[in-house]
Amino acid sequence: MRRNALACIAFAALIVELAAQTAAPPRFQVDPLWPKPLPNHWLFGSITGVAVDAQDRIWVVHRGGDSLNARTEMSAATKPPTADACCVPAPQILAFDESGALVANFGGPGAGYDWPRSPGGIAIDAKGNVWIAAAAAAQAPPTGRDAPKVDPATLAKADSHVVKFSPDGKFLLQIGRAQSPAGNDSKTGLNRPAALDVDPAANELYVADGFGNRRIVVFDAETGAYKRHWGAYGAPPDDADPGAYDPSAPPSKQFRAVSCVRIAKDGLVYVCDRRNDRIQVFQKNGTFVKEAFVSKTTMGDGSVWDIAFSRDPKQQFLFVADGQDQKVFVLRRDTLEIVSTVGGGGRWPGAFYGVGSVAVDSKGNLFTGENLEGKRVQKFVRR
Amino acid sequence: MARRRDVAIGMAFAVAIAGLAIAERAFERVAAQDRSALQAPKFEVDPLWPKPLPNNWVLGQVIGLAVDSRDHVWIVHRANLLPANEAAADQKPPIASCCSAAPPVLEFDPAGNVVNHWGGPGEGYDWPESNHGITIDHKENVWIGGNVGTDAHVLKFTRSGKFLAQYGRKGKNAGSNDMENFGRPAKIFVDAKTNEAYIADGYGNRRVVVIDADTGKFKRYWGAYGNKPDDTDIGRYNPSAPPAQQFRTPVHCADLSVDGLVYVCDRPNDRLQLFKPDGTFVKEVFIARNTLGDGSTWDVAFSRDPQQKYLYLADGKNEKIYILQRDTLQILTSIGDGGRQPGQFFGVHSIGTDSKGNIFTTETYEGRRVQKFVYKGIGPVTKMDQGTVWPSK
Repeated sequence: MRRNALACIAFAALIVELAAQTAAPPRFQVDPLWPKPLPNHWLFGSITGVAVDAQDRIWVVHRGGDSLNARTEMSAATKPPTADACCVPAPQILAFDESGALVANFGGPGAGYDWPRSPGGIAIDAKGNVWIAAAAAAQAPPTGRDAPKVDPATLAKADSHVVKFSPDGKFLLQIGRAQSPAGNDSKTGLNRPAALDVDPAANELYVADGFGNRRIVVFDAETGAYKRHWGAYGAPPDDADPGAYDPSAPPSKQFRAVSCVRIAKDGLVYVCDRRNDRIQVFQKNGTFVKEAFVSKTTMGDGSVWDIAFSRDPKQQFLFVADGQDQKVFVLRRDTLEIVSTVGGGGRWPGAFYGVGSVAVDSKGNLFTGENLEGKRVQKFVRR
Repeated sequence: MARRRDVAIGMAFAVAIAGLAIAERAFERVAAQDRSALQAPKFEVDPLWPKPLPNNWVLGQVIGLAVDSRDHVWIVHRANLLPANEAAADQKPPIASCCSAAPPVLEFDPAGNVVNHWGGPGEGYDWPESNHGITIDHKENVWIGGNVGTDAHVLKFTRSGKFLAQYGRKGKNAGSNDMENFGRPAKIFVDAKTNEAYIADGYGNRRVVVIDADTGKFKRYWGAYGNKPDDTDIGRYNPSAPPAQQFRTPVHCADLSVDGLVYVCDRPNDRLQLFKPDGTFVKEVFIARNTLGDGSTWDVAFSRDPQQKYLYLADGKNEKIYILQRDTLQILTSIGDGGRQPGQFFGVHSIGTDSKGNIFTTETYEGRRVQKFVYKGIGPVTKMDQGTVWPSK
């Protein structure tokens, strides 16, 4: 009797195991009417980060006026305005509920911190605090026939910090000083950090550092104290420029544009090595585990822009936003094999231009943010 | 004599009194007619029209739209001006698996499928540096203009894309009184009754030109208020200055209504001017008169009832479509707002209607879409600005 019961349990377990092994990739359908239209003639700028919090609110960070055309796009925000009705940049941090209603908005300069000249990614930690990376490149001198002569010393340097806010936008912590780009060995500074994630288990902040540096760097999420860092394959990062990506060359020993870092529940750390068209996987201590190439022939901005995990207990699938090929790849997380894709190029619902951010809610719905001239956040309903 | 004068005065007085009474009644009618009593066509966007384009195609700036007798929607877009990172599959070598520029001219069936496509340089004609405006005439021929640099001509093709005629010679525009060439023509309208083509001319010139649609021979042309056009630079538009006596470039549309009025988009002047087909000025109306820069009057389309009771006006600066009552030129309401979601606009540029009364729009700049707004009948106006008109979920 007891043996039968055990056999039964074993059989049931086997079924579950088989089901797990053969789970079909999730399928999605775009919701063209999400989120609801923004109030006040607000516009999204280029979207650089999307995250979902514990209440399934969708948080979005975008570049605002920095990425909007003053002549044609934010005509109601210029001085003098050139149109009465439209449009003005929305506050740079926005949160939406599941219905698509705007439930929070803040952002901009304030006391005690440096607002990014241009933001990178966004993360919401277990306490609901909002982290953003400051990812702007150094200010370019004005160009063109009528460009004024500018003293190079007055041009802004690259962004080089991350900022933490409470859910209602109160400043809490800044790591790194603004416009003080630091090298790959710095324990206090950053260089164009692109994205971040918080490990609730250790209360550590992981920073993808980034567009200027070539490393993952870990800080105490409470104090901002430096903990550790590493480069590609877990080796020390190198400040030397590895040059342009060549798909036929041996895999690069250094990262090229570290655009995301995501920590899975099983403790594996997934890193977007964007211009190398690859994902590298590490343990939390920086030990290299494995890598996988995605659309290896992609040139330009590269293929691996952001990563999110499916919401089943085992996080069986990985979603990879590819803003150069204009799609989201669905990968099996165990094998890193591509099993499906979502999207295509275009400006209509379900199509992308510069899809660079991806996140998943508790129901398994997928949210994307488009950078460049995409400038949308979209919802793909899990079917 | 004295008596006769008295009678004349009395009559004049009576006429004046009667006139006053009529005016007063009219005034009362208008006063009583609060906005909720106004009726206007209603629309909601179809967020899933058209269908996704085949072949990883993407659109450049969509700067022309026409609807033909089969309710097929034609667009023309700037395929040649897509950035490398967007037309990434077209680069040599390719940057990525997506995307490729769609051919410049696309024809959609009513369901939103691409059913034909063509365009680009070919034998016997000069493809524009920057194509602009598309129309399909009563003989099923397709016309396009061009609005950059040397574009001084319009082209006519069969609906399958076979070249038929070029009117005007590339690079030969001699100004707003040239009788053979155009100055970066923006849009063409063909009058089936007279077989005349009305050209909004344009980005370089300051006039409307009427040509024979079969021979291209210039028949007549005129400037603002029916004046002889003058290419003297009149500076930037100033809303508080007296109305300009010349069009400001671009003259962006010239469309003829069923009752024989030519509606001209004097875009940076924020106005429509109305003319008889012979160029006699009839009246003008200002729209969003404080709008600077690109201006507010981008393109017009007529409602599809027999009288064309309503006028739809695209404003790519304020990002909306105004719905006007055509006889009074009163703005009844507007739809649309800025943004990248369905029913929103970035640079709403061209507008057309199909036989069912649906509106189609295109967007230039980084909007780069064609959208469909489904006609939902006539109903009371509840808001001056309706904003984004979505179907209920």
